[in-house]
Amino acid sequence: MKVAGFFLLGLASVFSVQRDNFRTCDNVGFCKRHRALEPGTSSYAASASSMKLNPTSVSLDVLEKKSDVKFTLTIFGLKDNTFRIRLEEKDAMRKRYEPPVGDVLIKVPEGEELKYNGQSGNQLTFNKGTSRVVLTTEPLRIDVYSDDDPVISINSQGLLKFEHTRPKPEAPPAENQDEENKEEAQEGEEEQQKEEEVKEEEVKAEPEEPDMWEETFKSHTDSKPFGPTSIGVDISFPGVEHVYGIPEHADSLALKTTKTTDPYRLYNLDVFEYDLYNPMALYGAVPLMLAHNEKRTVGVFWLNAAETWVDISSNVADKSIFSNLADFVTGNNEIPQTDTHWFSESGVIDVFLMLGPGPKDVFRQYAALTGTTPLPPLFSISYHQCRWNYNDQDDVRTVDENFDKFDIPYDVIWLDIEHTDGKRYFTWDAAKFPNSIEMLRNISSKGRKMVTIVDPHLKRDDNYKVFAEARDKGLLIKNKDGGDFDGWCWPGSSGWPDFLEKHVRDWWADKFSASEYVGSAPNLYVWNDMNEPSVFNAPEITVNRDIKHLGGWENREVHNIYGMYVHEATMDGLLKRTNYQERAFVLTRAFFAGTQRTAAVWTGDNMGEWSHLKISNPMIMSLNLVGITFSGADVGGFFRNPDNELVTRWYQAGAFQPFFRAHAHLDTKRREPYLLPDENVKVIREAIRARYTYLPYWYTEFFTSEKDGAAVMRPLWVEFPKEKATFGIDDNYMIGSALLVRPVTDQGATNANVYFPGAGEVWYDVETYQTYKGQQEVNVQAPLSKIPVYQKGGTIIPRKMRPRRSSTLMFDDPFTLVVALDPKQEANGQLFIDDYRTFKYRDGAYGFIKYSFTSHKLHSNVEHQGSGFTTKEWLERVIVVGLPHEPRKVTLHQSGQTKELIFTYDSTTHVLIIRKPGVNILQNWTISLH
Amino acid sequence: MFYKLLLILSLSFFAQAAERPRGVSSAKASFYQPGKDFKCLTSGETVPWEFVNDDYCDCKDGTDEPGTSACANGFFFCENRGHRGSYIISSRVNDGICDCCDGSDEFDEKIKCGNTCDEIGRKEREEREAFRQLQEQGYKIKQEYMQQGKRAKDEKRARLSELEKQMAELTAARDEIQTRKDEVEAPETEAKERHQKAWEELKAARQAEKDRVKAAHAFAELDANRDNVVDYPEMQKHLEFDIDSDGTVSVEEAREYLDDSDGVDLAKFQDKIWTNIKDIYKPPAEAQETKEALPDEDVATGSQDEEDRGEDSAKPKEAGEEEEKMPPYDEETQKLIEAADVVRKEYDEAADKVKDAENEVNGLKKYLEVDYGPDEEFSALRDQCFELTDREYTYKLCAFDKSSQRPKAGGIETSLGKWGHWYGPEEDKYDAMKYENGQSCWNGPSRSTHVNLHCGVENKLTGASEPSRCEYQFEFTTPARCKQPEPVTGQHQHTEL
Repeated sequence: MKVAGFFLLGLASVFSVQRDNFRTCDNVGFCKRHRALEPGTSSYAASASSMKLNPTSVSLDVLEKKSDVKFTLTIFGLKDNTFRIRLEEKDAMRKRYEPPVGDVLIKVPEGEELKYNGQSGNQLTFNKGTSRVVLTTEPLRIDVYSDDDPVISINSQGLLKFEHTRPKPEAPPAENQDEENKEEAQEGEEEQQKEEEVKEEEVKAEPEEPDMWEETFKSHTDSKPFGPTSIGVDISFPGVEHVYGIPEHADSLALKTTKTTDPYRLYNLDVFEYDLYNPMALYGAVPLMLAHNEKRTVGVFWLNAAETWVDISSNVADKSIFSNLADFVTGNNEIPQTDTHWFSESGVIDVFLMLGPGPKDVFRQYAALTGTTPLPPLFSISYHQCRWNYNDQDDVRTVDENFDKFDIPYDVIWLDIEHTDGKRYFTWDAAKFPNSIEMLRNISSKGRKMVTIVDPHLKRDDNYKVFAEARDKGLLIKNKDGGDFDGWCWPGSSGWPDFLEKHVRDWWADKFSASEYVGSAPNLYVWNDMNEPSVFNAPEITVNRDIKHLGGWENREVHNIYGMYVHEATMDGLLKRTNYQERAFVLTRAFFAGTQRTAAVWTGDNMGEWSHLKISNPMIMSLNLVGITFSGADVGGFFRNPDNELVTRWYQAGAFQPFFRAHAHLDTKRREPYLLPDENVKVIREAIRARYTYLPYWYTEFFTSEKDGAAVMRPLWVEFPKEKATFGIDDNYMIGSALLVRPVTDQGATNANVYFPGAGEVWYDVETYQTYKGQQEVNVQAPLSKIPVYQKGGTIIPRKMRPRRSSTLMFDDPFTLVVALDPKQEANGQLFIDDYRTFKYRDGAYGFIKYSFTSHKLHSNVEHQGSGFTTKEWLERVIVVGLPHEPRKVTLHQSGQTKELIFTYDSTTHVLIIRKPGVNILQNWTISLH
Repeated sequence: MFYKLLLILSLSFFAQAAERPRGVSSAKASFYQPGKDFKCLTSGETVPWEFVNDDYCDCKDGTDEPGTSACANGFFFCENRGHRGSYIISSRVNDGICDCCDGSDEFDEKIKCGNTCDEIGRKEREEREAFRQLQEQGYKIKQEYMQQGKRAKDEKRARLSELEKQMAELTAARDEIQTRKDEVEAPETEAKERHQKAWEELKAARQAEKDRVKAAHAFAELDANRDNVVDYPEMQKHLEFDIDSDGTVSVEEAREYLDDSDGVDLAKFQDKIWTNIKDIYKPPAEAQETKEALPDEDVATGSQDEEDRGEDSAKPKEAGEEEEKMPPYDEETQKLIEAADVVRKEYDEAADKVKDAENEVNGLKKYLEVDYGPDEEFSALRDQCFELTDREYTYKLCAFDKSSQRPKAGGIETSLGKWGHWYGPEEDKYDAMKYENGQSCWNGPSRSTHVNLHCGVENKLTGASEPSRCEYQFEFTTPARCKQPEPVTGQHQHTEL
């Protein structure tokens, strides 16, 4: 759903983000302080003599020479080509927040031997495998080499700045006035006066700058009782022109230089009608960046839950902006380099360096730190129908019936906030939903599910049990003075449970039990919205930074992680219902590193405009790059009324994005697909059906991604890392390694430019089997009915071609294998099957089959069949694409038996269709073409 | 009779069922000849008999798999003995949901389906019978509506053409009177103007005389030393002549008011000076008053009442002086006026007749321009309003006029639209009405109402909802939508497609 548009109602029909609701770098003290730093000699120095060597790590003292403050630097060697670098204050006055192990990091990362290779001058070298770390003690600098190539440099520009904890100055300027005056001191005049006084102070003593002990934004004052605590450092990628990641931003896939803009901001915020192509913060944050060139991919994970900004500059990209005449004249052919500068409001410097060398290696290395997306239950990767709001039980029934009437499959129908009794989550509006159990049973009879919304804000109402309990048990977050924080959200005055605490999460999880969530049923799943958290009447529409969490942390220290704890607790609650037997589904809007383990993510409140359809691809790809593979955008766009063409094109795109849900704002016209003109209904039906036919492929991809953390929706460069032309492409993408998708995202388009990557590759249109050679851009025909989707030669894709009303009804249906041959007449593929809904696959109750086509033979090789696991699924059809000659005969060989199979061959498209091998899918066999 | 026939038909289905493939209706059984090659029914390919219902789709049109889910575009025939045979989409075969009431679509033992055909069949027949009766009753009323509607239309048309004819006469009559009216009004106007002008002149002369007297008073007052000359030192005593507001009246200032002379006598004062100073000059009493009022000015302006009172007290004095009434017209003029009045009255009567006729024409046209259905059956709804109250609102539909809602708890009525047009599908446009351009929504369209019409014995608003923001949907029953019921026999001819 939606937005904090609540307080903007007065500004009728202002259709874009209210930018001045949100802080820019200029409104943020620490951002200004870090951004103002000039590259130069770092004032930090490590002491070689203090070095303590451990088998897998080394630590040294570091001194900041101007302030004489001491720090501890630790370099860890980690398994799988990964390093970790930490810098923390040695004698801190107050402990700094670090997400507990198990919450972001799934465990203490496994160490790997770090060999000290001696000192040379002021450089200490540590080796690990084929990589090494060179530590320059003074000025402090760390260079990481992989196979002798420099790949990452830290503090090479000397931007390291660690604001140590300090006592509040006895008479700091802001304190000159007594308390009462301070209250009034918000007017500009006095403010200026204060700043001037601060400046005086600055000259004579320690560098105290404005905003260090108090900051004001609009009418809100942030009390900052612990003063300045920010941290920051520069991280450079020699030889790299392209960096990606650090979602969530409505921007291109390849990140841009920030020379002329604000830095990319990571601060979970509810942004009403967000703008495109800028570095403003959105609903979630994953501080992971990938840097890529033809030779190598590396990743940097900045483990910090506080507000974070990232500046990016590039000697290549910036040259085009500030055309460097000197370079031009001298013909300077310098190596490209991307420099980044990271700074956070608090926490410690804790950076993981993943050295790849390939993109999929980085996925795996990051997955080892924060985990992967567990295999979603099949229904959840099918089609979801949502709207704010389906009004009542009759409405739900009518929508459900219409999908069947128009023969359009769907798996899940959703209820937004209006289904509750006055926005009291876990309740039902008794007049509109008098018998939710019956409604859920009715849906369930077709294998379908329901999702209801449960937001983290609890209506302040003594008669609302969930709130009263949270308040009485002391589970709510506090304001800076210790009382329960009171803010506005959908229900009006609300309180927020402190999900950072395990006992609060456990309490919350119990609310989903059948006895607590009255009127729920096992086929009901949950959606957590507004969990940034969104607070309508607070600064930047989120909680004040100085509010207190139960563990004593200020929100400024933990802000970006709060939303993840909300959906984690929700998922736990849903799993508890079946004693962790059945898999569940939770959708979240706010997210952090680790979110992938317990929720799917959508890109929030987008708009029904072509530009928003277009940006959905890079936004979802960015999420996929940082492990949040199960992600999508509202099909049709949340705000406004898209025209029929846009809705239709959006369905086509959504059908080939991981999370596929249509959603619409309360004020929009109804747009369930069957309401469109016949022509559009037909195209949308085909698009949704296409999704269902490819479910076995999606499901297998999600299964493998759970193991290796790989993006499911992949930028082309992930599959073709050496092909530079792909590095900037974000309108074409891959699903897994086999499908290339180029959704049409332009109004009125009847053609689309498709980039077919891969020298020597061949690609097949999945409908017409027309072939395209790799490494070229082709303008293809794309009338409204066409989704440009291509299967790569050399791959085998399992499909189910019998469209049912829901995916549950397809469990037993037979498979079709699409064997797309490469120029060597070979292909490979795989298929994962299980019961499609429980965790039994983790005990081995699944089947995993590898397919290979070589020397005119297609082999089925069951790599895994769990004991006792069987299936009714069978092989209905094999389609071999790219076969130049018609075979004389096709035979099936199985357990010593040979059977001749009937086939048809189309000599114009070179497609062979083998009729009904009829074997159970969990069997070894060979089909030979003679 | 009906049941017997159905039974016979059902038995004949049963007899053939064993011989034809699963999912094939009796009507199409002849195309499926066991042992012989099968020709796809519309796409025309030929496949061996073994390919029929072997759970693999061979025909482009899906007809080789009438009894399995293999063809995405196929159909399965449910016999539904006891009820009515029907086709379902092939993908609903063996999907774990009982779609046919005889359960025949689920035969792979995923689910056991009971046979509910008898029950459903009975229920449906009951419903059908109830509906037939409803239609019958409704249709009777509709016929009355049709008669009324046609009669009304005929009457209105007749009246309209009558009026249109009368209109010419009425207009001509009015125009004729207008000419006469113009003729008698011309001398009347001239006489009245003449009288008026004379009066104005007299008034001006009197005013001038009054002014001279005023000037003489002022002269007497200004001429402090009574030497019959007002000189500049005398002027200097009057602070109102302080042009530059520096607190004193300088010699130059005083002289300027005296036409740049040192002094003037009464004659010159009256002729030349008075006009320039009469709005500035304040007699001593008034000057005194102003002076005293000055310190309180802030307070005084703060109160609107006082200001108003001040003006009130000043104005009537002057108005009183000038409120001299124009003397009555002379006899001759009076006669002209009386003559004109007679014609004017005549004219007004004629003009009213034209206007009344026009109004009636417009009303008739407005009525006639609405489409009341092919047989005028909906005209019975005209000028009628119907209400429905739900949990929160009372909804109102005034047929061919407007739709609205008001909160149940009381409050203002919100327009949900004004009569727009028929809104049913092309083949049956009288199935729905659209009311549009109601009150605008914030950030959205203006409200509109889609009214679905159903056959019923009474005119009644039976449902109201808001499926999309500001787009309302009403359900309305009316005899006008009742079709002539089909004769009872022959109903089950539709048992197969």
